[in-house]
Amino acid sequence: MIAEKLDRSIRPLPGAPKDIKFPGYFETTLPNGITVIVIKDEKFPIVSSRFVFKAGAFLDGDNFGISSFTSEMLTKGTANKSALEIAELIDYHGAFLSSGCDFDATFVSCYSLKKYFEKIFDITSEVILQPAFSDDEINRLREQKINSIISYKDEGDYLAARVFKKNVYAKLPYSKPLDGTEDTVSNFNRNDINNFYNSYYKPDNLIIAFVGDISEAQAVKLVEEKFGQFSGNYIYNGNIEEEKINETKKVYIVNKSGAVQSSLKVGHLAFKRNIPDYIPASVMNTLLGGSFTSRINKNLREVNGFTYGARSYFDWKKHSGDFAVETEVGNSFTAPAVKEILFEVDKMRNELVSDEELTSVKNYLAGNFPLQLETPNAIASKVISLKIYDIDNDYYNTYISKVNDVTKQDINDAAVKYLHPEKMTIAIGGNPEAIKDDMKQFGDVEVLEGID
Amino acid sequence: MQSNSNIIRYKSEDFPGIVEKALDIEEIQLSNGMHAVFYKTDKIPSVCLNTIYHVGAKDDGEKSGIAHLFEHLMFEGSPNVPHGKFDSILHNLGGESNAYTSWDVTSYYITVPSNSLEIAMWLDSDRLAGFGITKEMLEIQKGVVSEERNYIIENTPYGSVEDESSLRLFKNSGYRNSILGNISLLKKLTPDDIRNHYDKYYAPNNAVIALAGSFDIEHAKKLVEKYYGGIPVGKPFTRNEFNEYDIKEEIKDTIYDNIQLPAKFIYYRVPAQGTKDYYALQILSSILSKGESSLLNKKLVYDLSLANEVDTSVTGMEQTSIFGVSAISLKGRNLDIIGAAIDETMDEIHSGNIKDEEIEKVKNKIETRTAFKKSSIVTLAENLSFDKLIFGDAGRINTEIFNFLSITKQDIIEAANKYLNKNQRVVLDYLPK
Repeated sequence: MIAEKLDRSIRPLPGAPKDIKFPGYFETTLPNGITVIVIKDEKFPIVSSRFVFKAGAFLDGDNFGISSFTSEMLTKGTANKSALEIAELIDYHGAFLSSGCDFDATFVSCYSLKKYFEKIFDITSEVILQPAFSDDEINRLREQKINSIISYKDEGDYLAARVFKKNVYAKLPYSKPLDGTEDTVSNFNRNDINNFYNSYYKPDNLIIAFVGDISEAQAVKLVEEKFGQFSGNYIYNGNIEEEKINETKKVYIVNKSGAVQSSLKVGHLAFKRNIPDYIPASVMNTLLGGSFTSRINKNLREVNGFTYGARSYFDWKKHSGDFAVETEVGNSFTAPAVKEILFEVDKMRNELVSDEELTSVKNYLAGNFPLQLETPNAIASKVISLKIYDIDNDYYNTYISKVNDVTKQDINDAAVKYLHPEKMTIAIGGNPEAIKDDMKQFGDVEVLEGID
Repeated sequence: MQSNSNIIRYKSEDFPGIVEKALDIEEIQLSNGMHAVFYKTDKIPSVCLNTIYHVGAKDDGEKSGIAHLFEHLMFEGSPNVPHGKFDSILHNLGGESNAYTSWDVTSYYITVPSNSLEIAMWLDSDRLAGFGITKEMLEIQKGVVSEERNYIIENTPYGSVEDESSLRLFKNSGYRNSILGNISLLKKLTPDDIRNHYDKYYAPNNAVIALAGSFDIEHAKKLVEKYYGGIPVGKPFTRNEFNEYDIKEEIKDTIYDNIQLPAKFIYYRVPAQGTKDYYALQILSSILSKGESSLLNKKLVYDLSLANEVDTSVTGMEQTSIFGVSAISLKGRNLDIIGAAIDETMDEIHSGNIKDEEIEKVKNKIETRTAFKKSSIVTLAENLSFDKLIFGDAGRINTEIFNFLSITKQDIIEAANKYLNKNQRVVLDYLPK
């Protein structure tokens, strides 16, 4: 077919780019305050719905883990159906139902083939509106939760994350374990759960997003039928205090017995999600450690062979956030890896990025954007996150043009403002005997036998 | 390609009740033997290119971990793509790439915005057309793989169970090999070993390419011809036959790990992916552990409060498969009691005590799962190339659901009685160190 010999030294040029727009979707608010979103996609005969209450573990108070426990209790029985009856109905229809929470929101999701969806929506509505919270099921979940907490502590990255969050977020609720501690979970009772449920599960902080083969009219009708009578208002009376960034570098090592690697988390307090320079800060982080070709992964993996992978991120939450570099390195590479991490963070603050890096990161973020919009569920997650964090509806429509407007100076400004290498908390889940002497060069070293 | 007569093939006509929209798939074969499969879907302006090679850890032989280490090296450099440039060129286009190695195959994908498809093909074909791996790249990647092994196996609770079970399930075949390899043996691999692996297995007639996404099929066919058509045919070689002894007595061992909660793992050797027994056992696995009302979940987690988690799986492979049962105990429970409870459920299955509705429920689930499988271009391209390479049938994505739906209760009972017996299994008890 092709007569001439191919000259492989010539790299082909890209063709004309195709446009990508954030897909349109339907949104309305019902009289009782419920926001209904519909993202229609008729490609497959499947419908899913996602219920989001804008209330999570941030509201736990001293009962760490109560939000998570309450959310998981929803599917464990209602006024009319036992936990097993619910499970059997869901499984019989080849459907899916689950519930859980993070710090800023509680989620209930279900999906099924279109032909069974009304039935599945009906069951899901029942678990949200009429949960039984029976003592039997509370005790069953309690033992499972406690065992899960015990098994998390076998994992180095869990230990590193716990000691990191505890010290970085200090007095903020984000410093607490999402699932609670063995102690708190042991003491939960039906009252605690009912209190949390009655205080924070309200129609005016509820979003219901439908995705898939369902019309807008049908979705609204389903919500009106099942949730029309749902009433009340969400009120939060607590104070949200500002936390301050720790002033000095400090090393924490939580003992993970028999560790051959250190799970590292190096970083500090950052900011809440809804800030004006979120995009320049994200672009900066993509270059620093937010992608496979980032400086940190290149340095630690491709140049030094210290690790299978390394990454950095801003964990933006509703009322605060943190910045961290995360990796797992062999015991003997622990101190050298920390040194390289601090070097890369420093460099990002002290020098402008190159023209080549700037072009490349913009192309990457623009070219990668369509892949994040591939499934209607992925689109729904993005729309829901705008609601949880109070971001403009317009955010994703203008995302690519805002990324393209970012300059080298903007990236440097974001680095100077948001990165503080001299104030890093260096958290490790690993083998203290193998690494603690080497770590003294970075600051005081505190060794912990365990952490809640 | 294999011509296993046990592979079952159903068509949609056999199941008039099920409305499955078939995907329109096109195929070509180049003169050097390489197959290419195309599926166009215009949902997003991106395209995924998958290239799969018929070589995996079962072909490692004495060169422990070489197939997987080689997967890492394929990103390091080729004659016209200098060290480190593969990923940065792709990144600069908004592209991404990754790969996996199994016992049977090594599979690579690249996703790019559609306007950069030709550059993706140029990048991918350059590493098949010419060798560019140096000793320095090899040494760095040995370090990376060693940390990968630490991360996935040595430092992870229960992480060694795949390696420990394969060692006991297989004696002669390459399915005994650890995919990530034995690090002290891996460290001894030389540049010559790497070159030999490349020369033997990285040939167009040992590979299939698949494209899924938004692109013009006729143009893509020309591009495949242009970038892959001129690559010479590889030398023929003989594959190892699958020749395993039968397990006739239970193999039982205790492994001490850095864990708090003891766990029981049970494995059986079962027939290859694509066979009728394989589908029957897949359905059985779903009946046993998928969903909170599944038999083992209901019994071990809910009714008896013995386990924190229970799971079963069928790992499908080219020449054999593995049926696995795992149960992580609640603190303070006895693993023998957990084992006895699992045996009771398995005995019920053997004696034919399965409710019809249990099977119905799995079939509903499979319909949902099949739809999800078709929703990502990365998964689509991966499945198309895999099915063409292993089954010689790229259209299998449209028909595999019927292989599941054709299974009867009797098929499940027979497969369980034939393959899931106590004297045919490997049992591993994981206990805290």
